[in-house]
Amino acid sequence: MGSPLKKIMLCSSEKEIFSVEEQVMVQHSVIINNMIEDGSYNYEESKIPLDCVDSKTLKKVIDYCTYHTHHHNDNQEDLEAWDAQFLNVDSNGLYDLLMAANYLEIRNLLDLIYRTIKNMIKGKKIDEIRRILNIKDHGFTPEEEEQNRKEYPHFY
Amino acid sequence: MEKKMNHKSKSIQDILPLDLIQRILLRVPVRHLARLKCVSKRWYSLISDPHFAELHFHRSPAATNASVFMGGGSLAYFVYLDSLFTDNNDALQVKKVSLPFKMKKLPSDFELLGSCRGFVLLHGDPHFLVVWNPLTGSGKRISYSHIVSRCKHKGFRLPSKFHLYGFGYDAFQDDYLVVVAWQDKDDHYHFDCFSLRTNSWINLDAALSKPLDVCHRNSCGLFLNGAIHWVPYPLTAYRDAIIIFDTKERTFSRISGPEQPVVSACTFPTLALLGGCLALYYHNNDSCNTHIWVMKEYKVLSSWTLYQIPCKDFRPLCLSSNMDIIGRGYTLYGTIGYFIYNVREDLLKHFNDHYCWLPLRATDPLYTESLLPLPGDIKEKDKKKKMKKSAMEIPCLFFRPLCLSNNGDIIGEQFLSDKVQKKKFLIYNVGGELLPRVKYLCSAHNISATDTMYTESLLPLPRDIKDKDNKNMMKNRKRKENGHEVHHECFEQLDVAKD
Repeated sequence: MGSPLKKIMLCSSEKEIFSVEEQVMVQHSVIINNMIEDGSYNYEESKIPLDCVDSKTLKKVIDYCTYHTHHHNDNQEDLEAWDAQFLNVDSNGLYDLLMAANYLEIRNLLDLIYRTIKNMIKGKKIDEIRRILNIKDHGFTPEEEEQNRKEYPHFY
Repeated sequence: MEKKMNHKSKSIQDILPLDLIQRILLRVPVRHLARLKCVSKRWYSLISDPHFAELHFHRSPAATNASVFMGGGSLAYFVYLDSLFTDNNDALQVKKVSLPFKMKKLPSDFELLGSCRGFVLLHGDPHFLVVWNPLTGSGKRISYSHIVSRCKHKGFRLPSKFHLYGFGYDAFQDDYLVVVAWQDKDDHYHFDCFSLRTNSWINLDAALSKPLDVCHRNSCGLFLNGAIHWVPYPLTAYRDAIIIFDTKERTFSRISGPEQPVVSACTFPTLALLGGCLALYYHNNDSCNTHIWVMKEYKVLSSWTLYQIPCKDFRPLCLSSNMDIIGRGYTLYGTIGYFIYNVREDLLKHFNDHYCWLPLRATDPLYTESLLPLPGDIKEKDKKKKMKKSAMEIPCLFFRPLCLSNNGDIIGEQFLSDKVQKKKFLIYNVGGELLPRVKYLCSAHNISATDTMYTESLLPLPRDIKDKDNKNMMKNRKRKENGHEVHHECFEQLDVAKD
């Protein structure tokens, strides 16, 4: 579907316009694929408004999709190394990317981020997990928290 | 206690909607989730939800299974197969059997009879069974004294008292079943089934079309496809050798094992579950290797496929993610431990001799960890779940629900801001356990404090009705009432917007 040179416009929350090869987004984003397929996108006029994705995040998402479109024949190790480098961002950046990937339904990026966050907390102590994920308000009452700490001291 | 967020850097809880957090937690092995429950109250309720337990159970790949062993001092040993490859320190977990009911004296030794959906079935002396989830601690005691008094075999431990035993699950009733076949003093065979939901034994002799005759072996059943399977006959009698008990219908049927071209001595096969397929294996004493027959298509006899593993005693446990067979056993040269057999290249690799002190038993039940509750535990949790359902959290500010879509999703609107005087139409996917989300439909101008729902119809007002039209009107009304699709519109043509 669609010639590789066709471009589509994405509009970030700051109203910045990004022009991307249609093929790149169609291949990765279920939402954009649906839009193009059902003809609701007008190449002359339409801009796809992504109100909950800021420019910085949108640029990263486009980078991801572009790289994976053009390098999908690379060997697995190279791709994984690139992915690791790509996700070398702070936790806020990671959450933003996750929200964007979820909004645009980019399955392989979603999967990559889930795995990354999972590995961030795997085998860690509770206090460390709270610090990594920046959970300050854990919602337990002081009594409950104390009870947990008493019951499972090796978790903390 | 509730503090509004004033932190500069954002916390995962403030940013990510619960369903995204849930999807991260679904990837964490169950045995690590107990710890994560203490991270925050939200995570605690997420992980404690039986719905989450169910989702997690169905997501777990086969290689996260463990083989279970019972040791002295009521200790249960779990060897996690996925960790055997990567992280040996994490592979062995030991749990002391702790039962949620009072007993005068806890037996020091339990015998392992089977495992299903994260529960293990144990036997303790004198004469009781226990269904136990080692991760949640949930459990139930089952007495079988009514069998003991009539049983031919006295004074033996359970497995030799029961000719067949099995542990399975009935998904339709959400019930766990323990099934046993035993012989009375007059040598008659009986089939009894315990339902954990009704907490009672039922006799199933009438359901047996053919009497159980020659099963002279204590055979542990294998649960798959909603049925418990046994193969209590030597392979020479391959015809109808596999007994199947359907846990939903509570009926029996039989299928044949693989037809043997060359029949070696009276070999008793054992059942295993490999990649979702029924498999049957035995040690071939002539060629000193292990034969594994896999029934690639369930109940299709022509699909039995033979694999010959160059290992004197190989007990297949499960398939790895590369479809290699993981098993435990020992070779002719005395190498003991865990092996992996590469099917395509016919290569056997010994990869781990840790835990070779754990006993080799006739059958190693495979344990799949879960946080699932027992039917009895669920009642209270069900209520909680319902309450949760009724209070839905939609990750969207100023969301005003309008109606349900055909899929039961919530269509609603959102005001962008007072100044812009604009609103958006959104659709929120309620049931989608995979992708619950808020989807943007379209924008519209003009906001008003209250929107009235309009349901289109051709109904006339009462005074418009003339006798002539009466028939028509009735027809119209009928059509509307029968109509499956009731279109609600909010003057802004939502249906058009959806396309």
